[in-house]
Amino acid sequence: MSATLSNYLTITAIFILCTWAIYLPYRMGQLHFMMIANMVISAYLGALFSGAVVSGSQVQEAINLNLHWPFILTLILGVVVSGLLGYLISLAIGDAPCFAVVIVGFAFMYLTKAIAENTTALGRTFGMFRVPRIVEGLSNSQNRLFLVCVCFFFVLLVGFWIYRFDKSKLGRAASSVFVDRDLAVSLGINVKKMGSLLQTASSALGGLAGVLYLYTLRAISPSFITFHNVGLFMTMLFVGGYTTQWGPLLAVPILWGIPLIMPESLQVWKNVFYAVILIGILMLKPEGVITRPLLRRLNNLVFKRRLKPAGSGKNLS
Amino acid sequence: MLNIEILIAQIVNGLSLGSIYVLLVTGFNLLLLVAMIIHFSFPVIIVFSIYMSWIVMNLTGSLALGILAAVASAILVNMVSAPIFQHIMRKRGSVDINATMVISMGMGMLITEWTSHAINNGFPISFETEAVDPHGWLRATRAPFIRAGLVSISYSQVLTLLTGIILVAALFWVLYKTKAGRAFRAIAENPDGARLVGIPLLKTGVQSYILTGILGGLTAALMALLLGQASPDLGDQLGHKVLGISIIAGLGNLGGGLVIALLLGIVEAIVQGVFSGGSWSNTVAFLLMLVIVLAKPRGVFGIKL
Repeated sequence: MSATLSNYLTITAIFILCTWAIYLPYRMGQLHFMMIANMVISAYLGALFSGAVVSGSQVQEAINLNLHWPFILTLILGVVVSGLLGYLISLAIGDAPCFAVVIVGFAFMYLTKAIAENTTALGRTFGMFRVPRIVEGLSNSQNRLFLVCVCFFFVLLVGFWIYRFDKSKLGRAASSVFVDRDLAVSLGINVKKMGSLLQTASSALGGLAGVLYLYTLRAISPSFITFHNVGLFMTMLFVGGYTTQWGPLLAVPILWGIPLIMPESLQVWKNVFYAVILIGILMLKPEGVITRPLLRRLNNLVFKRRLKPAGSGKNLS
Repeated sequence: MLNIEILIAQIVNGLSLGSIYVLLVTGFNLLLLVAMIIHFSFPVIIVFSIYMSWIVMNLTGSLALGILAAVASAILVNMVSAPIFQHIMRKRGSVDINATMVISMGMGMLITEWTSHAINNGFPISFETEAVDPHGWLRATRAPFIRAGLVSISYSQVLTLLTGIILVAALFWVLYKTKAGRAFRAIAENPDGARLVGIPLLKTGVQSYILTGILGGLTAALMALLLGQASPDLGDQLGHKVLGISIIAGLGNLGGGLVIALLLGIVEAIVQGVFSGGSWSNTVAFLLMLVIVLAKPRGVFGIKL
C-alpha cells in the first residue's frame, strides 16, 4: 500500500471518529468542541508516555519520563483521561444550552493551546516528534497497513456501538431532547445525565482519535487546535447529515478526498470550498445529505419492504 | 508586580479595549434579540471591514473614505447574509438558533479564508504605513496624550474610549428612546405580540441588520485606530470572546454585556501588564470565561431571550 493511500485511509478513519465525537452530543442539540482539545491532550499524553522527543532547544528542560509504553497502553491512557475530563466538565454543562457548551469547548481549546505553546517540556509551538512506530520491528509499509487496519477496526467498533445506541431507548431519549427539551423533561428524561453520558463519550472518542492521529503523524504540535479544524469537522457532520451516524461515513471520505485531488493552486482554497459547501447544504438540505427519511426509503428499496396501508390488518401491530 | 502608575495605565488600556468589546457585544446581542440569530461571525465581518477600509485607504490615502468603506462593507455583508439566515429559518419552520450559529460559523470560515488568501497575501495589514496614511494622522494618534512617570496614554486610546462611549450611548438612546428602538425591544420581548400590535417583523429585522452594520463599520474604524493593524484570524478569536462575554452576561442582555465587556477588557489589560505577553492575557480571558460559564451556564445577569 502506498504511503499516500494509507495516509488518506488513516486520516479518513480518524476524521470519521472525530465527526462521530461531535455527532453524539449533537443528538441532543449540544455542539461539543471540547473533543478537539481532548484529542490534543491525549496525543500529548501519548507522546510523553511513548518516549517521543521534545522539539527544539528546549529538549534539556523536557520532562524525561523515560517510559516507552506500547501503543495499546497509551491508547487506553488517552481514552481514559479524555473521558474523565469530559465527564468532569459535563457535571457542570451536562444540561447547558448549546451555545454555552460551544463556548466551553472553545475556551478549553484555547487553554490547551496556550498551555502547550508556553510549556517548554512539551516543546512549545513545535511540539513533540519521533513518536515510536505502532509496532517496532515491522517495516514502514507493514506499519502503515497495520495502522490502517487498527483505525478501521475502531471505526467499526465505535460505529457498531453508536448504531446500538441510536436504536436503544437512550438514543430515542437523546433525539427527544433535541426535538423538544421541555417535553423530554416532562416525559421523565434526565437531560443532565443524558448530556453527561454523551459528552463523556464524545471526549473519550476525541482521546481515541488523538492517539491514533499521533501514531499516524508520529508528531504532535499545538497547531492542530485551530478554528479550521472545528469548521472541518462541523462541515463533515452537517453536510453528511447530523440526524444519523451514516452521514459522516459518506461525507468524510468525499470532503477529505476532494481537496487532495484538486490542482495544487486550488488546494489553498480548500477551507473556502468547505465553507461554501456547508452554507449551501444548510440552505438546501438543512439536515444534511443523509437523513432518516432517506434511510427509510433506501431500506425499503433494498429490502423491497412496503408499509401496509393503515388499518389493513395484523401486520401493523 | 504592578505599581499604581502601571495599574492606572492598564486600566485605561482596558477601558479602550473594553469599549471595543462593548460595541461588538451590543451588535451581537442586537442581532440575537431582533433577528433571532446567533451571529457568531459578527466580529469576522468587522475584521473584513477593517480590511476593506485598508484597501480603500491604500488606494486613495483618504481616512474619511476608509471609514466610509468600513461602514459600507459591514452593512453590505450584513445585508447579504440576511436572506441566508431568513431562508434557514423559513426552511426549518421555526427559528432554530443553533442552525443560525452553525451557518454563521460557515460564513466566518468563508470570510476569514478569503481574506487570508486574497488580501495582502495573507500577511497582517498595517495602517501605519506611508501608503495607507500619507498625512500621518493615524500615526499621530500614537503620540502620548498624557504622560506621567510610567503612565502613558495615547491619543488613539482616548479617541477609542470616547468614541466608544458616544457610540454605545447613541445606540442605547436609539434602543430606549426612539420608536424604532421600541420596535426592536418589542420583538425581543415577544415577537408574536409585536406582530399583533402592527410592528413589521421583516422590516424591523432588516433595520437591525443595517443598524448593526453601521455599528460594525464604526467599530472596525475604532479597532484600526486602536490596534493599528489586523490579521485574518483576528475575527475568529474576537468571535469566541464576544460569544463568551455574551454568554457570561446572559445571552441578549444588553446591560450585562456592557458590564462584562468592560471588565474583560480591564482584566486582559492588567494581565498583559503583569505578564507582558499577549498569549497569557488571552489565556486568562478564556480561563475566566470557562470558570464562569461552568458555574453559571445561563449567565451572570440572566438570559433575555
